[in-house]
Amino acid sequence: MTLRKNCEGTTRRDCLQFGIGGLFGGSLVNTLRVRGESAGVSAGPKPTAERVILIWMDGGPTHFETFDPKPDAPSEFRGEFGYAKTSIPGVLYSEHMVRLAAGLDDCAMIRSIRHSHGNHGAGNHYMMTGAPTRIPVGCGAFVSFHPSMGSVIAKERGKDNGLPPYFTTPRMSRSGGPNFLGAKYAPFVVPDNPNAEKFKVRDVALPRDLAVNRFDRRTDLRAKIDKLVRLNSEVAGDPVAAFDEYQEQGYSLVTSPDAQQAFDISKESSSMRERYGRNEFGQRCLLARRLVEAGVPFITIYDGGWDSHRNLFGALGKRLPDWDNSVATLIQDLKERGLLDTTLVMAMGEFGRTPRISTLSGTSAPGRDHWANAMSVLMAGGGTPGGTVVGSTDRKGYAALDRVLSPENLISTVYHKMGIDPGQILYTPEGRPVHLVSDPTPISELI
Amino acid sequence: MPVQLHQILSHFVLLITVAYVQATEPVKIDFDNDLQPILTRRGCNQGACHGKARGQGGFQLSLLGFDSDFDHEAITREARGRRIFPGAPKRSLLLLKPTGQVPHGGGIRLKADSSEYEMILQWIRQGVARRVDEAPTLTSFSLTPDSVVLQYEQQQPLKTIAHYDDGSARDVTFLTVFQSNEAPIASVTEYGQITAGSITGSTAIMARFQGRIATCNVIIPRPEAVPAGEYVRLPVNNFIDELVWQRLQQLNITPSRVCEDHVFLRRATTDICGRIPTPLEVQTFLEDPSMDKRRKLVDRLVLEPDFADHWANKWMDLLRPNPYHVGIKTVMSYDRWIRERFHQRMPWDQFVRELITARGGTWRNGAVTLFRDRRSPDEITTLVSQLFVGVRLECCKCHHHPFEKWSQDDFFGFAAYFGRLGRKGSGISAPISGSEEFIFAGKSGSVSHPVTEKIMAPKPLFGEAAVTANTVDPREVLAEWMTSPDNHLFAQVMANRIWADLMGRGLVEPVDDFRATNPATNQPLLDALGEHFRNTGFSLTELIRTITASYAYQLDSLPNDRNVADTRNYSRHYRHRLRAEVLLDAFVDVSGVARSFDAMPPGTKAKQIWTHRTTSLFLDTFGRPDPNQDPPCERTKESAVVQTLHLMNSEQMFRDIRNDEGKAARLAASESDPSELAGTLYRMIYARSPTPEETELVTSVLSEENADRRQSIEDLMWAMINTAEFVFQN
Repeated sequence: MTLRKNCEGTTRRDCLQFGIGGLFGGSLVNTLRVRGESAGVSAGPKPTAERVILIWMDGGPTHFETFDPKPDAPSEFRGEFGYAKTSIPGVLYSEHMVRLAAGLDDCAMIRSIRHSHGNHGAGNHYMMTGAPTRIPVGCGAFVSFHPSMGSVIAKERGKDNGLPPYFTTPRMSRSGGPNFLGAKYAPFVVPDNPNAEKFKVRDVALPRDLAVNRFDRRTDLRAKIDKLVRLNSEVAGDPVAAFDEYQEQGYSLVTSPDAQQAFDISKESSSMRERYGRNEFGQRCLLARRLVEAGVPFITIYDGGWDSHRNLFGALGKRLPDWDNSVATLIQDLKERGLLDTTLVMAMGEFGRTPRISTLSGTSAPGRDHWANAMSVLMAGGGTPGGTVVGSTDRKGYAALDRVLSPENLISTVYHKMGIDPGQILYTPEGRPVHLVSDPTPISELI
Repeated sequence: MPVQLHQILSHFVLLITVAYVQATEPVKIDFDNDLQPILTRRGCNQGACHGKARGQGGFQLSLLGFDSDFDHEAITREARGRRIFPGAPKRSLLLLKPTGQVPHGGGIRLKADSSEYEMILQWIRQGVARRVDEAPTLTSFSLTPDSVVLQYEQQQPLKTIAHYDDGSARDVTFLTVFQSNEAPIASVTEYGQITAGSITGSTAIMARFQGRIATCNVIIPRPEAVPAGEYVRLPVNNFIDELVWQRLQQLNITPSRVCEDHVFLRRATTDICGRIPTPLEVQTFLEDPSMDKRRKLVDRLVLEPDFADHWANKWMDLLRPNPYHVGIKTVMSYDRWIRERFHQRMPWDQFVRELITARGGTWRNGAVTLFRDRRSPDEITTLVSQLFVGVRLECCKCHHHPFEKWSQDDFFGFAAYFGRLGRKGSGISAPISGSEEFIFAGKSGSVSHPVTEKIMAPKPLFGEAAVTANTVDPREVLAEWMTSPDNHLFAQVMANRIWADLMGRGLVEPVDDFRATNPATNQPLLDALGEHFRNTGFSLTELIRTITASYAYQLDSLPNDRNVADTRNYSRHYRHRLRAEVLLDAFVDVSGVARSFDAMPPGTKAKQIWTHRTTSLFLDTFGRPDPNQDPPCERTKESAVVQTLHLMNSEQMFRDIRNDEGKAARLAASESDPSELAGTLYRMIYARSPTPEETELVTSVLSEENADRRQSIEDLMWAMINTAEFVFQN
């Protein structure tokens, strides 16, 4: 066991696991924490997607070793990996992205997202919410100033089928919380490892020896016994309100056959499980597909460890082939099931990485550091035209050259696909108006 | 010439009282006084642009312009001087870039027809002076008004004045960066126009100019005035009430009524001892007719062993290192050291002195673990300054604090007190780190400034605490300074922590982030609490007695029409979920089945566990800190669906309630009739007697047709444990 002592070090498992943690970023957001109401019913764009699977590559994935290799750059930029030809002539992926390269016809690749927040705290927030942090924050920051995509989609597209509308596994990303939308739209975290022999989402099923009718009796009793007066005003900030919300959520989960079914990954054939890869990440992708089938509108697969300051080539050489396989399988499998048309799959992190190979970390095995001037984002499905490549970076991968796009454009694209007007104004409980996305222009090539 | 301004001084008065010099008047443009403010105001040197560690596009400025020499050099000399073009000043990159005449990654920052543009142009024409000979030096920076009371949606312009050593003053509002601490309460435009929101409350607006900070406190009262007589009639148990009521009067809100006896009993017992009252305690307390029974209760609670374990458990969150880093035995010995001191009710200054001057072996003097875990002076500095002085210095390790006065000099001056720390024995060999290590005060060793490489003399954050040739251990000098009456923060930080624990919210939040730009919600109260804490010999029990004796502590959580939106001025009690250990111990008290923990004797309470590594699904679920994190972070206070699910479905809790030796089984086997059972259950779980309707409910459940008495009791218990009244402190 090694100490996790890098600049990702303050990821707060406890907060993450319990979803709502990021809501309280200190006094700044406390007054915002009561639920917001959407300003009337806006018609919104015509939806092309019904759900989203977000593969969150936490730490900031290198664009060079994934989707934007620079084979013609000098070696101190190029790195150790070669390239793979994609299904589009002239478009190259990195050496290990073999299956995704072959499957570019089903995907879109955006290479020109940029912003200026090269630290984890702020980058995470920007890419996860579409809003930059209101004040400068540091690498270790765990902040929330704005609702995350997942929470907004949970609110706008959640269905009443007993399943929480927003899942995240194995934990919540730093800024993946609901902020002023309220605890109801915090993600449901599945911390357990679906690749484990006895994978079971704990506490979601009744205790083994408890008969269902006895559970009903207890629930009924609880309702009669519960006499604590609620403060009944959102501005009062009664923590009991969140507890009630969660109790209701928990009850629906326990009593929903759909939910119980969705969690039971052992229902999958062993060949299907093999296809996704018998590793934690692969099985999380498979679990995400099951949740999609059960009607969950937003699922985040939190995939950590992309903060490659050191030993980039050693670590990614091992990791990428499996990663490529799992993501390609997910897209393929959704397509085979006729779900890809209505399911948006995306893979991204908080920023790209420095063009020049770096030994700043002080180790002999080099890596690349934080770089927000360029990054690559993979998208597939949900009405995304396949075989689309948007934007490019310069010869050394320093900066996005053409079609320079912002996180706002990217997040607006997601909302647009989900039929949510990214330009709408939300109101915090205090009545303060907030743009859902400040620049609501989606990326036209992806619509 | 410091401008003395009092609350809500009008803008006009100001204009006449301040010697006012037009901004464009100086003939010679000075880099410090004229150029640097423009770079800061236009965001050139912010962290996201040229101010970041390696600059942007090859052009690096010091973060927020704290290093003018560096910046002048970067602008005039670096890149072969191409940023300045003396032959044709308008063709200088310094002007072409920000005006967008050549591509600029940061976009257009400056308009070619602006006075700032003109100023830069002049400066280049005049030969890019670093310092103009006759240029005055900035001595102070003031913001007016520095405090203001606004109605909902009312506006108020702010004005900032820079004062120079030649006696001149200059309006620098247009060169000041403004920021609101809480925009929904009061927002501020980039030109310093405050607009109040429509929420009752207070916040601070921060103004930054040339590394100087000034703040304006904004108070937004409820629109409807409250007759003064209402405040006069409020009971005053001690100084706390006076100061809380004063604050409420400013805001036009009035406190809730006082809470009932049973609420007080459960509140005080969970707060002070981290446990729920026993059924017997409940009965005795409720039947006690004496007037001062609340005070007597607290007097008894602060003497209990549970008190020590509860507060030690809180401090272990803040101090306890990862055993995989420092070694298991070391963590145990550290825990013992901390716990013993809470059992002794050691005065706080003595606790801190012993801790930061600790020497000896990790297995014999647990306190030295601090220095085993934190190995370099800078790591020790961030922890010590934050925990005990409430000053967060992390930023200053690498650059000047962006919102505060602290610089790298302050950081490394503080770190220098730990420069002579010596270590002997086996160091860290994670993940076992199994050996003992010895910490001592060495004869030599120093800390040097990372930029200037100058060896730093130990220097406190403020005041004096010099290390002399005779000083054996510089840490002794630091400890003396930290706990001396000159250091008002030392007492206030701890008083604020205890206040936050008892009142549900710190006067300063986060509790260890004291700075001008994060003002307390009630500064006079914070001052008074700090003073009281010092005057009573830094006694935790005295402080707890005083706070719990106040009327404010005893307020009900139910709001009235006026204070419903108040979440930070203590006009009502703020509910909170019981913390993981308290809730688990409470559950054990109810189920009557002790939990067994790894490496702990039978009957151990959750709050006695010495490491968060001890397996407990319950404690993890309810948000104890993650032992893997380094540094360990604060715990989750909020509820979560995993928690409600755990209470509902946990196999272990289910088994405990149904245990043959458990409370439910014993109650079922007893002779008690349904109404007696109702009394026992309610006293045990809710710390109160049941109402007649509740007794009736229990009776009806127990007398249902085919009802199994034991099963019914189990179901009642389960139902009660799953309600907010059990899980929360009201």
